[in-house]
Amino acid sequence: MRRYFVGLVAGLLAIVIVHWLIMTFVENPEIQNLPYYTFRTLLRITVALVISVGWGVSFGILASTNKTASMILVPFIDLLQSVPILGYFPAVLILFVSLFQGSELAIELSAILLLFTSMAWAIFFGVVGAVKGIPVNVVESAQSFGLKGLKYVRHVILPAIVPALVSGATLAWCDGWFFMIAAEYIEYAGAIHWVPGLGSFLAKAAYVYGDITLSVILLVLITAIVVCINFLTWHRLMERATAGTYKPVLKLDLSGVGQLGVIRAIGHSRWLHLGERIHWPKSLILASHRLRKYTRLEKAIALVLALSLVFVIVYLTAAQLSLDMIKQGFLSPPAEELANLPRYVALTMGRLGIAYVVSLGVALGMGILAAEHKKFAAVFYPLYDIGQAVPILALFPVLFITLSRTFGGVIGLEITSIVMLILDMIWYMFLNIVSAIRNIPSEIREVGKLFGFKGLKRITHIVIPSILPAIVTGSILSWGTGWNTIIFSEYMPYGEKIIYLPGLGSYLDKAGYIYGNTILLVFLLAIIAAIVLLMEALVWRRLLRKFEKYHAEV
Amino acid sequence: MAVVEVRDVTKRFLLEKSKLTVLEDVSFSVDRDEFVCLVGPSGCGKSTLLRIIAGLERPDSGEILFHGQLQTSPTPKITMIFQLFGLLPWKTALENVEIPLEVLGIKKEARVEIAKSHLRMVGLEGFENTYPHDLSGGMKQRVGIARALALQPEVLLMDEPFSSLDELTAKTLRSLVLDIWRDPTLPTNTFVMVSHNVEEAVFMADRVIVMSPRPGKIIGEVKVDIPRPRMNYLRDQIYFKCVDEVVAILERSGK
Repeated sequence: MRRYFVGLVAGLLAIVIVHWLIMTFVENPEIQNLPYYTFRTLLRITVALVISVGWGVSFGILASTNKTASMILVPFIDLLQSVPILGYFPAVLILFVSLFQGSELAIELSAILLLFTSMAWAIFFGVVGAVKGIPVNVVESAQSFGLKGLKYVRHVILPAIVPALVSGATLAWCDGWFFMIAAEYIEYAGAIHWVPGLGSFLAKAAYVYGDITLSVILLVLITAIVVCINFLTWHRLMERATAGTYKPVLKLDLSGVGQLGVIRAIGHSRWLHLGERIHWPKSLILASHRLRKYTRLEKAIALVLALSLVFVIVYLTAAQLSLDMIKQGFLSPPAEELANLPRYVALTMGRLGIAYVVSLGVALGMGILAAEHKKFAAVFYPLYDIGQAVPILALFPVLFITLSRTFGGVIGLEITSIVMLILDMIWYMFLNIVSAIRNIPSEIREVGKLFGFKGLKRITHIVIPSILPAIVTGSILSWGTGWNTIIFSEYMPYGEKIIYLPGLGSYLDKAGYIYGNTILLVFLLAIIAAIVLLMEALVWRRLLRKFEKYHAEV
Repeated sequence: MAVVEVRDVTKRFLLEKSKLTVLEDVSFSVDRDEFVCLVGPSGCGKSTLLRIIAGLERPDSGEILFHGQLQTSPTPKITMIFQLFGLLPWKTALENVEIPLEVLGIKKEARVEIAKSHLRMVGLEGFENTYPHDLSGGMKQRVGIARALALQPEVLLMDEPFSSLDELTAKTLRSLVLDIWRDPTLPTNTFVMVSHNVEEAVFMADRVIVMSPRPGKIIGEVKVDIPRPRMNYLRDQIYFKCVDEVVAILERSGK
């Protein structure tokens, strides 16, 4: 306990000193506001977390104990969380601005709501998984002793969900930091809204002041704060919460090395039954992926909900939309670029493809090395922990500013875009691969050893085949997140003007943000959806079916 | 002369920073043509002991001798069948049997021939191209046995080989294993089996070695002098006497 307090005080002190140092030595008109910005960002994420926990626990318990509630809630929430967050943000913003007549509160509330929508799912699905994971014998013995209602919740459910809640909250916290910069730097209808905070300050440092030093310093500061808080709060909570649970939260021989990131996350993934749900998906593709696990009735309800949603939208739009307007949509700018569409699709797919191949290769290599060589793992996991705490969205401006100085705007953005995609995709691949390698049944490992498989033979005959299903799942997730990332990684304010990389993402941005051409925007979204679904049907689903029997039955 | 000799083997595991002693000073030896069974309560380290003999784990102290030679890593002369069969799910029955032969560097046609004849021996003719996924538990264990025998080992180690099968299948497979053990044309003649089923141990073994709860030590040995085939003696006093003797040792240690 005393060691913990020493750590806590030292950590906080370090953060304060770093602030003081930055404020003393960096010259910038806004630098005096730095502590205020840190405070605002921390407060914002904390508020969003508290709301997420409250919502996640109450709705999670409701959805997992009440059958009717579950049949309605779970498919509905699945549907909601599959819509890319950055996609529906403008709508939220308009709603709040009109509600609060453009006051600062409206912007703040929409930032918190954006954070909430990125954080809540982890907690909700964690709670649902944990309650459903309570062993039948425990449930039955509780019933036989007459535990009901609130008493049942207090003595059986709450203790059972604590580990999932802690790990869900940890992931939500990390997700919050990830989306922090998107929530604080809001570009809409030609105007930029700066929500005071670390994220917006970082974006300003890069875009407005063009100050590489400051943006790198801020990026390091944000990472340091995330790492510091992770170690001081979540890590400790996790240790306490995982004692005395029904299922062991994957204890690894590496414990004590990589303290938080990947190992913990793998642990959580087990708890949350996340074989197939390693991280929180941001695209439609996963709704259909998960739909397969529902019962027929649940599927029917999901279908009815989805259909009624579609019909409401169709009705609302059809009421105001005439054929002329659709024609108009395809005639007004940026429709003149429609002829380039095949080229745009090819270019975007090319970017995604390069990023996918690189992340698959690197994740596979690193994953196998880390799982097979303890010495490598001892160095790699702590590095990975820290690297993983860097909010990727915040890295974007910093990377771009640096690269564009050397390569110029367009090539700089091209490289930035691909690097961003790689960083985004690699996380899913790596997490899936490492957890799959960890979960290779011990008998399979022993068979390999007993019959003398070594080196490359061991990897090709034992390791790779046993993780093939996980590679497919990782691929689906990483392509999903890749499509989400492509939307904001193909355009960038550069000095006075905005530069675009030719591609589907930037075309979408032009149609949506610059020209407000909704017809074209919907058309492009439909094309993306079609590509995603086609890939799922033609590639992933086939592979998944093929590798299904690769799971050793243990 | 003893084929396998276990000398003063001690094994500890690290558990939450404290060391847990699983095996303490275990010594025994197995002769040629002998069938030895290790029984003990769960967690007494008998499976760990088997893995140490197989060369899959290393003892913290003590040693394993094979024909008087120090044994530290797996060898094709000592092989093993597993409780959960240990088949590679992505390989067919034939490929599963074939693959240890590939590691030994045997040519494709030769190893397919060897694998086929061993599958035939365990009664799996016609299932060569079936994946483990589509085989029943008993058939999977037959593949496991064929795979082990294809290497022409001298020693066969078995880790609770029948405990995940239903009793009827287990019975058939027990006779299959005994037939293999007795077959003079096969080089595999020294068997060590781990079991927690006393009746099974007495039915199969020449000698039953009884182990204590953790830390596992040898606390007794029962020589089983029932004539073979023992199927005829399952209702005999001599069989029950042996079973009772083993159970008595186990119960004494449990107190």
